[in-house]
Amino acid sequence: MRNQLKILIILYLCLPLSALTAEKNDHAKYVQHVEQGFVFLFQGNNKGAIDAFESALAVESKHYEILHYLGVAYTQEKFWNKAVEVYQRSLELKPDNIEALHSLSLVYFKLNQWADAVEPLRKVIMLSPQHARGHELLGKVYLKQRQFSDAVDVLTQAIELKPNAAGSYNDVGTAYLNLKDYPQAIENFTKAIKFGPPRYAEPHYGLGTAYLRMGEREKSKREMQIYQQLQKEYAEYERFTRLTRTEPNNLQAWRGLANVLMQQKRYNDVVPVFQNCIEIATKNKMSSDVIASFYHGLSQAFINLNYPKHAQESVRKAIQLAPNIAVLYNTLGSTYAMLGDVRNAIPAFRKAIELDGEQPHYHLNLSKLYQSVGNHKLAKEHYQAYEHFLSKQKKK
Amino acid sequence: MNISCQNRRKNNRIKLKAGTDTLDIRLFSTTLLTLLLSIAFTIAVSAEKKENPLILIPGGTFTMGNEKRAPDERPTHKVYLDAYYISKYEVTNAEYYEFWHSLQANNPQKTLESTQHTPENFTHLPHIGDWPERATKFPNHPVVGVSWYDAKAYAEWKGMRLPTEAEWEKAARGYSDRTWPWGNAIKPYANTSDKNDGYENRIAPVGSFPKGKSYFGVMDMAGNVWEWTADWYSDVYYFHSPKKNPTGPTVGSWRVIRGGSWIDTLPRCSTTFRYYFYPTLKTSSVGFRVAKTAEKPQK
Repeated sequence: MRNQLKILIILYLCLPLSALTAEKNDHAKYVQHVEQGFVFLFQGNNKGAIDAFESALAVESKHYEILHYLGVAYTQEKFWNKAVEVYQRSLELKPDNIEALHSLSLVYFKLNQWADAVEPLRKVIMLSPQHARGHELLGKVYLKQRQFSDAVDVLTQAIELKPNAAGSYNDVGTAYLNLKDYPQAIENFTKAIKFGPPRYAEPHYGLGTAYLRMGEREKSKREMQIYQQLQKEYAEYERFTRLTRTEPNNLQAWRGLANVLMQQKRYNDVVPVFQNCIEIATKNKMSSDVIASFYHGLSQAFINLNYPKHAQESVRKAIQLAPNIAVLYNTLGSTYAMLGDVRNAIPAFRKAIELDGEQPHYHLNLSKLYQSVGNHKLAKEHYQAYEHFLSKQKKK
Repeated sequence: MNISCQNRRKNNRIKLKAGTDTLDIRLFSTTLLTLLLSIAFTIAVSAEKKENPLILIPGGTFTMGNEKRAPDERPTHKVYLDAYYISKYEVTNAEYYEFWHSLQANNPQKTLESTQHTPENFTHLPHIGDWPERATKFPNHPVVGVSWYDAKAYAEWKGMRLPTEAEWEKAARGYSDRTWPWGNAIKPYANTSDKNDGYENRIAPVGSFPKGKSYFGVMDMAGNVWEWTADWYSDVYYFHSPKKNPTGPTVGSWRVIRGGSWIDTLPRCSTTFRYYFYPTLKTSSVGFRVAKTAEKPQK
């Protein structure tokens, strides 16, 4: 009896200790999941991040930061309702969290719940009057609610906070269009085109509409044609993007997507696309010329991103696969020139001309290089060749 | 029965007295042992500790931001900063241990005040491990698992402060437009997620990449661990920031972190790349360094 009592007492004394150890182990698990979640989030692996953050919160539920990050991952995966739920939980723990309020409003916007988005956005702006994204989103919400004067006010502030924001110019243009203030609409749509990314379609539509309502039919027609062309490109982009998602090994789809992205000058986006093309083409044992063309595309993307060393590495691989293609040497020469290595750039351009002497821009590149090293005679010769082949091409 | 009871009580009394003495002796021995262990621990940490001198960054104008990269790095703009000092290395485990130990020493009851600046444990990452053991095991590794508040408290304890975002960028890029502290060439001069930098999937001791030093000689400003700065984050701050000694927006949710880390790719470790974290978070990829305003020379 006495022994049993002793055991019971020992057990009783050990209980808090074991509880403490269990708590420590649980916290270690929480930390591990959170760490994993961040790695996934940084890598753009939202599904992995969701699993990790959900697991972390199953262990310790009251972390407003992790609830917000989980919401971000849900939002990126378009799990709107789940995102709303975790953002609300996060805000219960920290009601004045500006970024969580903004994130919640963004999801309401995506869910077309305009009225629900207004209150948190007003709070964002009240707490942080310089919050440009808050102003931008509230402007969009007002547009949807057809409160055009309010939209103009809030979007004008957004532009003050973030000058050259093409999206805000387009939105304020739309608001003015609805307020029938066409000169203001035209001014803002024009700025949206000026400051926007290449091939930004929407402001052309707005501009076309504004011109039409002002009776300027020719200008309107021109803008609408541009809009249609850009929309077509966008549709192509959407089509190829969908195809690459449903058929991840479809090389034609990846190639099409790469072409569209190059046309749109979206060089950051095209890099992983070309890398995928190379991987799939290599796996499928496609011809060397095909694989070389992808390496070449990749090198051109790197050139445009101002990464000459990466570009050179890619074009060298292309040359190894297809040593008799003139354009590859021209690109190689360009990478040397970007790195200031004239000594190696000249032979690369010469090789391009040796393989295809009738391309005017190969001569122009070489002419510029000779000019830079003071060899005016050869610079002149190649410039003349450039003009000659250019006019020949034009005649064709 | 009574007698026996009295006897027992008597015995108890004696035992109790004797017990108290034993307890006192035990308590004394335990305290002494803890103290000795603590001293030995502190000596062990200090013995391996690397000096972390302050580097003077002269006053003057530099170019901040980068027009060609992420939208929040725009616009490129000129900023004037008064002269300041910045620590050559990220704050190490050994350095942070001194701060943490002083809190423990001043508060042996281990109340909230003494434990709240304890770095997070990373039991699942053996190359980092648990606190305070990692202070002896990896004294010269940058301290991680510290929140922005921990970093600020440490800096204040040292009579310093966290660098502002502008101070951090100037110390990293110098006067020219360097993509990385060492220049524009892609080189393995920083501990990133790249497998060829010699520290695959782990933190490196501070100063492991001497070729990666900045124009001013500040080390590890690319990779290894992100570094807390004093400023709140705003993606449009550069459009409106003061031209002289900017200290960041007045409100925000996130604090700016700079420099990238051992889990990031080289582009994220550039001198202009901006990232942000909740100030309460304690992760294995964020540490800090300290700064101090240089006194103006007397006329």
